[in-house]
Amino acid sequence: MLLIPCPNCGERDEIEFDYGGRAIQYPALNNSMSDWHMVLHQRDNSTETIEEFWYHQSGCECWFKVTRNLNTHEFES
Amino acid sequence: MQIRRLKTGGCIDRSKPIYFSFNNRLLDGYEGDTLASALLANNVSLVARSIKYHRPRGIISAGLEEPCALVACADEHGMMIPNLKTTEARLNKGLTARSQNCWPFVELDIGALLQMGSALLAVGFYYKTFMWPKDWWHRVYEKFIRRAAGQGRVTYDADKRLYDKKYAHCDTLVIGSGPTGIEAALSAAESGVSVILIEQDCVIGGSVLWEKTSTDSLTTIKLKQYKNLRFMVNTLAFGQYDHGLILAVEQNKKNVESIFWRIRAKSIVFATGATEQPLVFPGNDRPGIMLAAAVRQYIYRYAVIPGKRAFLAIADQQERELTEKALQVAGVEIVGSLGEGDQITGTSGWHRLRKVHLLNKKSISCDLICVSNGWISNAQLSAQMGDKQTFATSLEQRPNPQQHTGSAKAFVDLQNDVTRDDLALAVREGYSHIELAKRYTTVGMGTDQGKTSWPNAIVELERLSAQDSSRVGLTTFRPPVSPVSFGALVGVETGQRMVPIRRTPFHNAFEKAGCVFQTTGDWLYSRYFRVGKESMNDAILREVSAVRTSVGCVDMSTLGKVDVKGRDALEFLSRVYCNNIDGIKPGRLRYVLMLREDGILYDDGTVAQLADNHFLVTLTSANAGQSWRWLNKLLQLPWPDLDVQLTPVSDHWASLAIAGPQSRNLLADLNPNFEIDKTSFPFASVKQGLLDDDTPCRVFTVSFSGELSYEINVPAGFADQLFKRVLDKGAAYDISPYGLETLDALRIEKGHISVGTEIDGRTTAADLGLGKMVSTRKAFIGSSLLQRPVLQQPDRMQLVGLIPADGSSTIPAAAHLTDAPWQVGKTQTPLGRLTATVHSPTLGHSIALALLERGPQRINQKLWAVSPVEDKSVEVLVVGNCFYDVEGSRLHE
Repeated sequence: MLLIPCPNCGERDEIEFDYGGRAIQYPALNNSMSDWHMVLHQRDNSTETIEEFWYHQSGCECWFKVTRNLNTHEFES
Repeated sequence: MQIRRLKTGGCIDRSKPIYFSFNNRLLDGYEGDTLASALLANNVSLVARSIKYHRPRGIISAGLEEPCALVACADEHGMMIPNLKTTEARLNKGLTARSQNCWPFVELDIGALLQMGSALLAVGFYYKTFMWPKDWWHRVYEKFIRRAAGQGRVTYDADKRLYDKKYAHCDTLVIGSGPTGIEAALSAAESGVSVILIEQDCVIGGSVLWEKTSTDSLTTIKLKQYKNLRFMVNTLAFGQYDHGLILAVEQNKKNVESIFWRIRAKSIVFATGATEQPLVFPGNDRPGIMLAAAVRQYIYRYAVIPGKRAFLAIADQQERELTEKALQVAGVEIVGSLGEGDQITGTSGWHRLRKVHLLNKKSISCDLICVSNGWISNAQLSAQMGDKQTFATSLEQRPNPQQHTGSAKAFVDLQNDVTRDDLALAVREGYSHIELAKRYTTVGMGTDQGKTSWPNAIVELERLSAQDSSRVGLTTFRPPVSPVSFGALVGVETGQRMVPIRRTPFHNAFEKAGCVFQTTGDWLYSRYFRVGKESMNDAILREVSAVRTSVGCVDMSTLGKVDVKGRDALEFLSRVYCNNIDGIKPGRLRYVLMLREDGILYDDGTVAQLADNHFLVTLTSANAGQSWRWLNKLLQLPWPDLDVQLTPVSDHWASLAIAGPQSRNLLADLNPNFEIDKTSFPFASVKQGLLDDDTPCRVFTVSFSGELSYEINVPAGFADQLFKRVLDKGAAYDISPYGLETLDALRIEKGHISVGTEIDGRTTAADLGLGKMVSTRKAFIGSSLLQRPVLQQPDRMQLVGLIPADGSSTIPAAAHLTDAPWQVGKTQTPLGRLTATVHSPTLGHSIALALLERGPQRINQKLWAVSPVEDKSVEVLVVGNCFYDVEGSRLHE
């Protein structure tokens, strides 16, 4: 069970959050099919760190991006 | 009779005797006793039978590491709780304990005959033996092997005890209250940080309680001086998780069986002590063979002498001296000691130890052997998070090797009856790594988690396979450190308390109106309204008829509602929804579709414009939570520059739709302070105002039923009042409230799509005949990937309607569409699948919606709806997906 750094509320317990998946850089809406395809479906499979979205569902409802070390679960700022 | 109890000493209260029952014998002990110390005081040496060979077993240890002395105890409701360690169970008034794994009783156990065939019962016996005939495994072998396997028996009764959960936070968490733990807790508390000290035992002190004179009262007073220090006894820390989370179970509380703690600490001190290891020698499992430190603990802490004539098999000199001193204090005769290079070749005695046999052919008469093979630190908890241990550092003192292979069994794992010979077999068969040997022989896999077996197993494997310990490896430590009951983990969240139930604002009023409820998602929602003793089908017929011919009313409060405000509100909504909504005017609303990023249809709903830059969006009930999350994600992550404020207002409004040809007249009877005639309040509009009883309201002209319909929204607190007035005024039109069954029948008759059936995560808007709603002149979420060839193929499954070809047969639910009837053994390629089926009350026959390959091109074709589950095939005629009022004229009447 992680302790997740919410930008508004500070470190809070994982049960307050909803996972938002791997962080992506949303293309503009009118970007091409292949742009969207690359962002949405093509993922690198790093063993070191992951950038991901979290949603502070049971708190301030903030969406934010963090970098997590996949080996230690430490969050990097 | 406590014939083995010393007259003085110990941390027990002799003024408070406690009576308890063991195997139907009434025995006594004192407050402060464990079940184990009380049994030993009563000179009970035979406590249990071993799992595989049913050998007599006694008490080996004085703590959590106990592998042998497991019993079943009755709780206050009379339910037998299996596999409790006698060394852990506190002695309570009226405690009832029983030996397990024996029949008819522990002294005379028929299962012990198994030992005669024990040569057959080597590891891997089952795997190698029960291989043929092939189908006998589940028919024959499994049944009797399962009967013979396992320790205690669990009951099938519901657990009536109460379990609770709590949370705690601290700067420093100290686990273990021995000398180290107390020192750590006191110095942390001195520095001013918040400290929690937890101890698995019932008192603070750890080894202080028996290695030195009793100082626990002093310690407790010291601990109590600090307001920032909290200490908890009877609390087992069993698991360590990320970011300083420790899970612990607190027991022996009043009124509650246990409290499950989640403790989050900035730093953790593991002062969890060490476990003494037994010696492996032939016959090392007889009752009376005990760890040296356990003997000292029984003498000093419980004032109990576990034997009268003791033989010492202790390698370490300090350990031997401490034990000798304790035995002398207690008046136990020391009959011998295992010398340098000497070997134990066997033991004798049946229910209790009588003699120990040595290599020099000498036999010594004794009833207690104090053994020690060194100490292993209790590093399980810290190792769970991946702190690497090496064997050399954890086993402080290497043993006096006992390699003698006598004819008797030398047990490495006393709980699982794994012998040295079993490990030798594992090595011969190639399983010399501890992780492999563990799984092959089950060494270290018992409820004791191998606390007294894995170090010896590694030493044995190392010797047997002639490799060094780094090749043999270490076992992996996982939670729990010691068994935790499922009840403690589950807590009170059982039965009705598992999931919170959501009720709509109309719930109480509906209940009085004869509503039958059902759960849909989190909601307890109206299913149908029963009048008199009618059946559900009769109720549905009546409800549908009311809506189609006069008026009905239905609860719409479960829909998600989001208030959208801001300069860019319309821009935001037109990016989110695929429709062209830029032409919307205040007072009007649109039916809208939301796509996923990959172009698949995700949700439908309405966007109503309340004022300039102010909209109300509805989301389907099933998706309300997910869609709210999604709208927030888009606004906060890719589009933070948009000036939009989202407010969830789902719970603020009670929403009752009145539907049917008489609904406008009914609305007129409620006297809203706005015009409601056909031209000033057309379909797809919204008006805000007051009803004549000053109830504030928003009324939307939307329809799921296909009839003229008004969705009246009032603040949630006005729900009772609104429903009562609608029923009162509606009586003139013979109004009928209706529920989910009728709602569904009406929408299938109209061919309206629904989330979870037609919007199933695979379909596009075009698949469902809604392709025209998808804008081609703007970009929106999903617009790019909707162009993927696979989503544009002409042979996709598309929405159609089905009626029985003979006009009367019942179309089976969840059927598949094929061009021939169902035939067992014949492979058929399905052309489509049914998404919804209902007996249409309006049409009087069965109808269905289906997704069918090239559906619209197959209109008027005949196909078969086949259900292998129902073993039924019905010939169906493909029709359009709307069965009733295809032109939609009734909406505008």
